[in-house]
Amino acid sequence: MHPDTVLNVENLKTQFFTEEGVVRAVDGISFSVKRGEILGLVGESGAGKSVAAKSILRLIDNPGEIVGGRITFGEKTLFGLEEGDDGEVRQDEAMLSNADMRRDIRGREIAIIFQDPMESLNPVFTIGEQLREFIEINREMGKKAAREEAIHMLREVGIPDPETRYDSYPHQFSGGMRQRVLIAMALACEPSLIIADEPTTALDVTVESQILDLVADLQQKYDTSFIWVTHDMGVVAEICDRVCVMYLGQIIEQADVDDLFYDPKHPYTEALLRSIPRPDETVDELDPIKGVMPEAINPPSGCRFHTRCPEAREVCMEVDPEAKDVSEAGERLHRAACLIHDDEFGADYRASTPIETSATSGFGTGLASDGGVSGGADDE
Amino acid sequence: MSSEPARSISDDDDDIAFGETLVSVENLTKHFTTGGGLLSLRYDATGGGFPFRTHSDRVRAVENVSFDIKKGETLGIVGESGCGKSTLARTILKLHAPTDGDIYFKGENLADLTGEALRKRRREMQMIFQDPQSSLDPRMKVGPIVEEPMKAHDIYDPDERSDRVRDLLEKVGLDPQHYNRYPHEFSGGQRQRVNLARALAVNPDFIVCDEPVSALDVSIQAQVLNTMKRLQREFGLTYLFIAHDLSVIRHISDRVGVMYLGQLVELADRDELFENPQHPYTRSLLESIPVPDPRVEGRRGVLEGDVPSPINPPSGCRFRTRCPDLIAPDTYEMSDAEWVNVRRFMRAVDRRTFTVTDRAELLAEFFDDAYPDGEAGDVTDRAIDNVLADEWETAATLLQERFAEQSICALREPSYEVEPEHGTNQHFAACHLNADD
Ligand SMILES: Nc1ncnc2c1ncn2[C@@H]1O[C@H](COP(=O)(O)OP(=O)(O)OP(=O)(O)O)[C@@H](O)[C@H]1O
Ligand code: SF4
Ligand code: SF4
Ligand SMILES: [Mg+2]
Repeated sequence: MHPDTVLNVENLKTQFFTEEGVVRAVDGISFSVKRGEILGLVGESGAGKSVAAKSILRLIDNPGEIVGGRITFGEKTLFGLEEGDDGEVRQDEAMLSNADMRRDIRGREIAIIFQDPMESLNPVFTIGEQLREFIEINREMGKKAAREEAIHMLREVGIPDPETRYDSYPHQFSGGMRQRVLIAMALACEPSLIIADEPTTALDVTVESQILDLVADLQQKYDTSFIWVTHDMGVVAEICDRVCVMYLGQIIEQADVDDLFYDPKHPYTEALLRSIPRPDETVDELDPIKGVMPEAINPPSGCRFHTRCPEAREVCMEVDPEAKDVSEAGERLHRAACLIHDDEFGADYRASTPIETSATSGFGTGLASDGGVSGGADDE
Repeated sequence: MSSEPARSISDDDDDIAFGETLVSVENLTKHFTTGGGLLSLRYDATGGGFPFRTHSDRVRAVENVSFDIKKGETLGIVGESGCGKSTLARTILKLHAPTDGDIYFKGENLADLTGEALRKRRREMQMIFQDPQSSLDPRMKVGPIVEEPMKAHDIYDPDERSDRVRDLLEKVGLDPQHYNRYPHEFSGGQRQRVNLARALAVNPDFIVCDEPVSALDVSIQAQVLNTMKRLQREFGLTYLFIAHDLSVIRHISDRVGVMYLGQLVELADRDELFENPQHPYTRSLLESIPVPDPRVEGRRGVLEGDVPSPINPPSGCRFRTRCPDLIAPDTYEMSDAEWVNVRRFMRAVDRRTFTVTDRAELLAEFFDDAYPDGEAGDVTDRAIDNVLADEWETAATLLQERFAEQSICALREPSYEVEPEHGTNQHFAACHLNADD
């Protein structure tokens, strides 16, 4: 592992075994997080962002299970399940036990912040007590010192009048203040990695903006790495250094933030960027992605985006492209999972015949959507 | 199949021309009373936990809001959660009784209408809500869902109705074959289309859309927004479009109103509002949005603190407790730099955001480039003494009473017309910075 790499995820697969069938929520994703960087994990609802985030800390409950892959954090193996040459699946001997995960990793080394702060705060205890107890346990401090540290952290994250607010209950805080408390809690043990799953999605933009500033400041100060889960390309552009774009359980593109916005190499990313209205420009017609994301329970064959892709060709229905580096010589690493890059994928995309999809023909597959039916749906 | 309005709806007599006022809202106010009235008991946090009697609280959700909507246009209303957007929408449709003020539709005051006349107006005004799931009965098939309002208003023949449903499903971009499907068989974006079809079923003129795309993914949002624009052109619809997302508002609206704590603080043509905002709250909102472009610099969390309670809103301008431009009280002689420092100090004391051990440290933190003299200096001196003596409350009260509450922003409610830079339509801004003295 590169010395600057904090976390490395290889071919991670997480599935849910439901009555309707197996949901391949995360289906073979690989990425790494470097020291001090903010890595964005972006995608639409159901793409598998939250499952990926939780899998890193092994927080997947029944009927879900991590069924394959390797997660390494520094020297430690958080998860390791690999198929040997004989086809047998083996658990890595170095993989941490559940007790190790609880005691040494969660909260201490890797903290997680959820979208809904009430999920992580106990409504019957005061904010201060919860934070103090957390610090007391995880940093082995005395009660008094932990209390002082808790007040210090509350002030650090911008809670006004922290001495008094220490005794407030979670319901007496606004959503933005509760999210600040969770950030305080996440930072309290000075973890090297914080996983933030849509922490600002439920907040108003002025509050979101305050929180993003706070995170940027604290990140500089503590040199923490972040995995920032979001569906908002604005937030990605604002705070992320690198970005992974997810579609239907897979990472379809991975690049530095500027390259992703200015030189996207996957049709899904391109379409996503074209479909968003902008706050700083008047755009009269939006160019939406046609169709809807299929169910993860029964993903399309070949490239999973082929049912909606404007560039889809026959070969895309057969070959499922694994993300590859498609950068030119001298450019930064830029991975994309698209057969259009013939040099890297060699699937002879150029020679293949274009196919009709909801994006190319105006006819929807399955349930119709705009542009999916002839007649009235003539949106340019 | 025909999409021509059926003969059975006769609204030919009162057609309003495009560009003429369709809806007019005048001084609309809606207050809610909470708690159990005079006998309700409450625990006062500062009163040692003793229950005491209190008057029922009055939530001033919408206060004195006025605007017109022209036929064929989209008026966007934007604001943060709790600012009164949904209450405004519901009060306009008379789903809430207004506390005060009037709503005119096609020139008629809705308050004066009863019986058949009111029913007819009700049919002409429809609403679409944020959550496409909860507004559709899960046990009903999509066809009957869309048909229901036609039945309720007793329009079109039974056979005509089902033809019309299929026609409408197609118009909103769904497959007419889906007549017999249940709502759960559709995605969120498709369910919102079903809502659109249902709203259109009774051939309305005016549709109030309360966060219609907020629950949808961006790519689906774009599809639904495009469909709404197309339907507007096709059916000559007028929209009141409520959203918290400024990008969506910029895309869909012809004119935009910004709400803060129950009041309309700014109203202007779309481009005028985004390119030439005159209210500090609008500017803060615009500066806060993350722009989906890594090369655009400059989003800053500019606003401090939280929105105050609508039960006891600040006097004068309701934004003044957070306004970065709060105007200096004219009772004192202060330079701009002095006032900027005093204002920052005042807010920091109020929110108790710092710790300090001695005067020098405090002066360095807040007053390194300018310190007020004269009476303003005296007040500041006393407040600093209080802080150093750990009497924060006293300091905060002193600063509030002697500075914040002496500002014109606290003394008078602002309401100004601004000369627009883009277009010629009215630009309203509720901020005293626009007073031309
Ligand atoms: N407990 C569960 N049981 C069954 N399926 C699940 C469960 N949790 C998640 N899934 C499925 O896994 C897939 C990925 O879900 P996930 O919550 O990770 O998406 P997401 O990208 O976080 O979406 P959102 O933006 O809506 O939060 C979806 O198809 C979802 O339905
Ligand atoms: S592989 Fe084919 S279908 Fe998939 S994104 Fe590339 S061009 Fe589109
Ligand atoms: S009136 Fe005063 S407080 Fe209100 S927005 Fe204008 S400057 Fe700010
Ligand atoms: Mg999620």
